[in-house]
Amino acid sequence: MVETVKIGPYHPALFEPQVFNVTVKDGKITNVDMELGYVHRSIEKLMTTKTYNQNVFLAERVCGICSAAHSTVYCETVEKVFDVQVHDRARYIRTVFFELERLESHYLILALLSHSLHEEEYFTKILSDRELLMDLFEHTTGNRVHYAVNKIGGVRVDLTPTTIQKMKKVTNKLRKLSNHILQAFGDNGAFTPKIKGKGILTKEKALVLGAVGPTLRGSRVKSDTRKDDPYAAYGDLSFEIPVGSDGDVYDRHLVRAKETIESINIIEQALDSLPEGPIQEEVGAPLETQALGRVEAPRGELIYFIKSDGTDVPERVKIRTPSFANNYSYTEIFLNQELTDFQLILESTDPCFSCTDRLTIVDQETGKKKLLLFSALDGRETK
Amino acid sequence: MTKKQIGVYRADASSCNGCDIEIVATLASRFRLDELGVKVVTQPEEARILLVTGGGNMKIDNDLKKVYERIQPPRIVVAIGSCAISWEAFAEGYSIVGPADETIPVDVYVCGCPPRPQAIVAALAKMLGKEIEEKEDFWRPPPHFRGKPDLDPEKCTACGACEQTCPTRAIEISEKDGKRTVKYLFGKCSYCRTCEIVCPDDAVKLTQEYLLVFKDRKAATFSADIELLRCPGCTSFSISPRQIKRVLNTIEENVKDYAEFLEDIEKAMGLCLNCRRKIQNVKKAKRLLFQLRAKALEKLQ
Repeated sequence: MVETVKIGPYHPALFEPQVFNVTVKDGKITNVDMELGYVHRSIEKLMTTKTYNQNVFLAERVCGICSAAHSTVYCETVEKVFDVQVHDRARYIRTVFFELERLESHYLILALLSHSLHEEEYFTKILSDRELLMDLFEHTTGNRVHYAVNKIGGVRVDLTPTTIQKMKKVTNKLRKLSNHILQAFGDNGAFTPKIKGKGILTKEKALVLGAVGPTLRGSRVKSDTRKDDPYAAYGDLSFEIPVGSDGDVYDRHLVRAKETIESINIIEQALDSLPEGPIQEEVGAPLETQALGRVEAPRGELIYFIKSDGTDVPERVKIRTPSFANNYSYTEIFLNQELTDFQLILESTDPCFSCTDRLTIVDQETGKKKLLLFSALDGRETK
Repeated sequence: MTKKQIGVYRADASSCNGCDIEIVATLASRFRLDELGVKVVTQPEEARILLVTGGGNMKIDNDLKKVYERIQPPRIVVAIGSCAISWEAFAEGYSIVGPADETIPVDVYVCGCPPRPQAIVAALAKMLGKEIEEKEDFWRPPPHFRGKPDLDPEKCTACGACEQTCPTRAIEISEKDGKRTVKYLFGKCSYCRTCEIVCPDDAVKLTQEYLLVFKDRKAATFSADIELLRCPGCTSFSISPRQIKRVLNTIEENVKDYAEFLEDIEKAMGLCLNCRRKIQNVKKAKRLLFQLRAKALEKLQ
């Protein structure tokens, strides 16, 4: 018997509003179709109406869980447009906050994983230890979610010896938490039997479908922008890239759990070798040019493209977020899985729909899709 | 869920996730949500309180209404965060409708970008008429916390630097009857501290106050009136005397050679925009300054 189940836009299995039309045959999923647009906020267009400096805060608000990632890649791309070299200390501070955010993001998804596996002990443990990290953010930057650390030409927050001490104390405690989580992934761990062998994405399929981040690394592909194309201070630091073996739900989450340990290593290295010096560089006028920047956000490779026409407002900003790239893998990972595992498999890619949402113009009468010029969005269409 | 517990349902209406992860963070044991008798539920039918994050876009709008109707009355709707209150930085987007209170009736507004979990818990406690003991250290905000912006009307010169740089247009400056009014909208603020950094007079400070709960969206403002000077050329209002004083001080400190022109600069700065536009070259400027000086002399005599 074939039937189609509509999941969403508000559904217990979804953290954010989104619609999935799932085709089920004899209890097994045969097809998944995704309907985007519930979180579309016209950010790319808005970025062309605000100045470069104002856009830092808009870039942060693309996604609440990747705010340091978005603002770092935005600032690094704009710095190419302005032709500014950032001081070493600022590069290191950016790296520290980038990795702290990766920790926060990975702990959140691991907490949600234990919640959906009904491992309430792990859920409370991870969530309450994650608060240490959130308190640290609040103490150093003044806000728990939108840090406002980055600015064009450097950073706004300097690390004093006391905050460095505080950070090291927190990372020490988090190392224990990460080791505790890794136990759950062991042979007789709490997570292992429930998630092993589900939602498999083979190495070949992962490459063909263009997956990024832990979803790609879970499928045995060693690809990480931090190593492949170093930005901030990653070129100076040494770290490992954990990879999975089978590409199932277990491997994707295991990669995340192992990455938390690597992140702690990176933070400790960066704090130990933090160079002295200024944290902000004077910024001149933008050149008439275009620039591309990419970073490894917690969910994968994040790309910004900025085109400048020499004014204080960007002419075009294009954002390619990791969750958008991972969407294509949904055609593969849900196939022949139980419908009851839908949430588990969806969460294993750590989707973020507020980054992903795109716009399609559809004619209501004919159902045809239409292409629109970017300039048409504010009513000043040009030929 | 026991009968005594009150269900809370979270509806994400196109938010950036920031407020949503903070609502999840309130589940951490240290916030003692169960002491309040509150439980986060996954079905709207079980809930009495609806937390809305984000203000809604064209596509989600209808579904938000449906969720609201599925909640059993009497319902309490809480708008969490600046986006739900005014759509913050996204207000001018083409896909944006709302804010939330244009789609569904909202009872309480909690300002912040995002509000601290402490603020969300305190707002829930306040609404339910209960009290939560805030004895631990984490309830108090840290020294550099970016909370409610505060303006010192004794220092502010209404120069407009904050209005120009604000990424969310949360600061409005208007002019009326010889006074310039600087208005801060807490519901639109992104609490990014840009205004504090750019203010040349150190008049704006982000305070540690984090519990910004309002029953009315329009009450979530703060404004200060700054007196203006009359333009010596045409008697309309032009600039605040404190701004002239600040500029003169800066010139005196940094460019000592200009000390002899200070009086002229003071007069030229007092001119309103219309009078300034009349000046086309140095010759005319000098003539105008001469006329102004003559006027001042006449007054003295």
